[in-house]
Amino acid sequence: MRLVLHLDSISISISISTSLFFFSTMPTIAGPSSSPHKHIVAARSENTGVSEVNTPRKRKLRSDSAAEVASTAIVTESSFATPMKWKSPRRCAVSSPKALKKEDSKGKLESPVMSAVKDRFDCLDVKSKWNPRDDDQMRAVKEALHVSKAPSTVVCREDEQRRVLEFVKGCMEQKKAGSLYICGCPGTGKSLSMEKIRQQADDWAQQEGLPCLETVSVNCTSLTKTTDIFSKILGESETGKKVNGSSSPLQQLQVLFSQKQQSSSTKMMLIIADEMDYLITRDRGVLHELFMLTTLPFSRCILIGVANAIDLADRFLPKLKSLNCKPLVVTFRAYSMEQILRILQERLVELPYVAFQSKALELCARKVSAASGDMRKALSVCRSALEILETEVKGSTDQEPQSPVTEDQVVKMDHMVAALSKTFKSPVVDTIQSLPQHQQIIVCSAAKAFRGSKKDRSIAELNKLYTEICKSSMITPAGITEFTNMCTVLNDQGILKLSNARDDKLKRVSLRVDEADITFALKEIRFFRNCLL
Amino acid sequence: MGKENPAEKALNLIRGRLCDPTFVFRPLSGPPDSNYSKLKFIVSTSITEGCNNSILLLGPRGSGKAAVLDLVVGDLMEEYPDSVTLIRLNGLLHSEDNCAFKEIARQLCMEHHLLFSKMASFDENSQFIIAMLRECGLAHKTIIFVLDEFDMFAQASGKQRLLYSLLDAMQSVTSQAVVVGISSRLDADQLLEKRVRSRFSHRKILFLPPSREEIDSLLEHLLSLPADSSFPSGYVTQFNEKIKNITSDTRFKDMLKTFLNANSTVNSLLKFIFRAVSSMNLESGLLSLENFKTALSSMLRQPKLEAVRDCSILELYLLVCMRRLEVKEQSSYNFISVMKEYKTIHDSFQTSDFYAQNVCLRAFEHLREREVICYAENRGQSQAGEYRPMKLLISASELHQGMRSHACCPAILLKLLDH
Repeated sequence: MRLVLHLDSISISISISTSLFFFSTMPTIAGPSSSPHKHIVAARSENTGVSEVNTPRKRKLRSDSAAEVASTAIVTESSFATPMKWKSPRRCAVSSPKALKKEDSKGKLESPVMSAVKDRFDCLDVKSKWNPRDDDQMRAVKEALHVSKAPSTVVCREDEQRRVLEFVKGCMEQKKAGSLYICGCPGTGKSLSMEKIRQQADDWAQQEGLPCLETVSVNCTSLTKTTDIFSKILGESETGKKVNGSSSPLQQLQVLFSQKQQSSSTKMMLIIADEMDYLITRDRGVLHELFMLTTLPFSRCILIGVANAIDLADRFLPKLKSLNCKPLVVTFRAYSMEQILRILQERLVELPYVAFQSKALELCARKVSAASGDMRKALSVCRSALEILETEVKGSTDQEPQSPVTEDQVVKMDHMVAALSKTFKSPVVDTIQSLPQHQQIIVCSAAKAFRGSKKDRSIAELNKLYTEICKSSMITPAGITEFTNMCTVLNDQGILKLSNARDDKLKRVSLRVDEADITFALKEIRFFRNCLL
Repeated sequence: MGKENPAEKALNLIRGRLCDPTFVFRPLSGPPDSNYSKLKFIVSTSITEGCNNSILLLGPRGSGKAAVLDLVVGDLMEEYPDSVTLIRLNGLLHSEDNCAFKEIARQLCMEHHLLFSKMASFDENSQFIIAMLRECGLAHKTIIFVLDEFDMFAQASGKQRLLYSLLDAMQSVTSQAVVVGISSRLDADQLLEKRVRSRFSHRKILFLPPSREEIDSLLEHLLSLPADSSFPSGYVTQFNEKIKNITSDTRFKDMLKTFLNANSTVNSLLKFIFRAVSSMNLESGLLSLENFKTALSSMLRQPKLEAVRDCSILELYLLVCMRRLEVKEQSSYNFISVMKEYKTIHDSFQTSDFYAQNVCLRAFEHLREREVICYAENRGQSQAGEYRPMKLLISASELHQGMRSHACCPAILLKLLDH
């Protein structure tokens, strides 16, 4: 959503003429509105639902949520659209999340949060039982856990958000420019937090009576050339003015920021550059110029760069240090187990029923935080577990369609374990176990051949080992042509690696899979166990 | 149609079936935990519930990944007409970003009957695609992106921009799409950048070779004639009876086992059956075990062995001499040194097959034409053929085997080879 909307905000003025070529003949897919651009503008300004009045209630929910921008609208829309089921327990429950937030001060969540969370789960009498056979309910749970659904409040990132917001507020108050660099692994909530901060900064500006903030959000993967980012920034600040052909956008920006502005209440510009490492070129010119824009005397832009590398600012912008305007660095650490658990529970708490056993959620959080701390993976595992439950329930429906849900049919530990193994297990072991016999012998001989320090061998040498193993167990070895074919098949699958050489016999072979995986896969078969000794 | 022999009709029917992937993979889609049902479940939930998904199909070549996907898409297009758009990309053709975006825009234009301009730039194409994704999301039409040879998309350009844009679009609420990647590399998702891998939902469906029961049922499904009116009924029962007899024969089971020990994908099995069926005796109109035997031997050919088997005695002598020179650690040898070795053998063993040099040269050329030997290096073309270094293109074991199966190989040669 962020990619789409941000492009629109920048590019409406520039490209409407070129794009109309496409859309002039487009039939109306989405109802009465004829052009997608007009459609977008209408949606943004009105912030209401779209034209489908005849579609079922569930679908309206999706298209409504597609059009809105503000975060609070999600909760109001949901309570709006499903009056019967969606009595949000937050309104009537014992412990409210706001009270919770005051408790944890530094974002380090230990026992107070866990006990508070457990309290909330104790008041389960408010929640009704979940029937997994009901399609609507299943759909609601799946939607709550989908990656694309932005939660109404971003939990576990309060500390980082506060820091960034303080910085932005400070810049806005003093009308000074500044730069900030946000780093962290993928899936740690950086882009999501940026969205929230943008809205919060807007709200705060309105509150304080300051001129509202202009925002330019660019995802740098969408730029054809790295210098396009300057034209995007320029386009935002000078809407209506045509792009001057004589000087480059960068020069125009530099000129703009070096002159004193006429009016005193000029707007501050917030520039958010997502996936900033795409701007890194060999001479590091673009990145450097971008950050230098904030150092110009009358610059009024607040630059926030988002990327994955922790030391991007140090490695690629050394000159800034000498000018004493190094950007402030905020690190978004990978989520810990408690944080993942809390986020999952926050998402599920809005539903009026319990779909997951708490132990299952804990297991998921533990495993994912040990692996990467990536929130997207945790959501994906939970959805996968839901699907396993669904197939199980649907499978048993065929036998007894009339029987009611007898026991608690929620996602339990065994579903979660199955989902985790599906996500984290590599398919190598299964594939090796199901290879035809000759190919297994080849894999075995490769494991033996590369045990020492030698990293690659020629096909002829491997063939010799292969025939030895075959002869020792009275199996007719395949000829050299067949052998080379089988090696090619294994190369295609990523088990062996064949180098490119014109002559078949001169190709070098190396092993791509761990020897431990091979031993594990073939340990059931006695023949291979003896071979690999 | 006229008086077509029922045997020919049966042959045509079976061959037609073997070449139609839809027919072949249909029975594999029956059981509820088969790959077909898993894939169908995921894609259909995306269509009905409007949630985005990404999935990877992995398995060796010829195991039916694209065929099963086609089956699923075909079924879904029947169930939900007008709500599914299919966009196909291939990693061999469209791995470059510009190319890929242009192709996606072109296919979208074709689906929705819009005019496509070849002059559109990369920016315009990508904005069009994003706008279309949003439009289709609002209209509740699902777009299914099929990326064949997924690992080539991941390996081609350093930035993986296409994959990032597509998978990022999956993360937004406005679009309704499914990305299906097909690859034969098992570690295809390890090739993705960490950003792209984080956005991929880690669903993988593994296509393993079929089990024995599946193969038996597949054979029956493919080879049994239907009992409809186009065939004389007596013939149909006779044919199906013969098939049952063959498949339960232990010799057939052994043959199948030998074949499956080398390659076990469905595709190679289909090729094997095709060859067997094509050699059916049209007079009797029934399949027999010999058909399968000939098919097996034609599939497990060893061409170099056949070359050696067809050599003349003199050529065999020359090959043995070359092998002996190799064994004596003489790394490079040419015709002259082979002749010397030949003379030494003749002197020590008093063989009757001693020919003049020009005859031997002819034999040498003959061997080179059949690619049993060749020049060791490509330079030195100006030198006369006799002085250029040569090398053997067959291994010692192949030579051994070929000579043993030769019609009239003199015993002394075998002794010389073993030495």
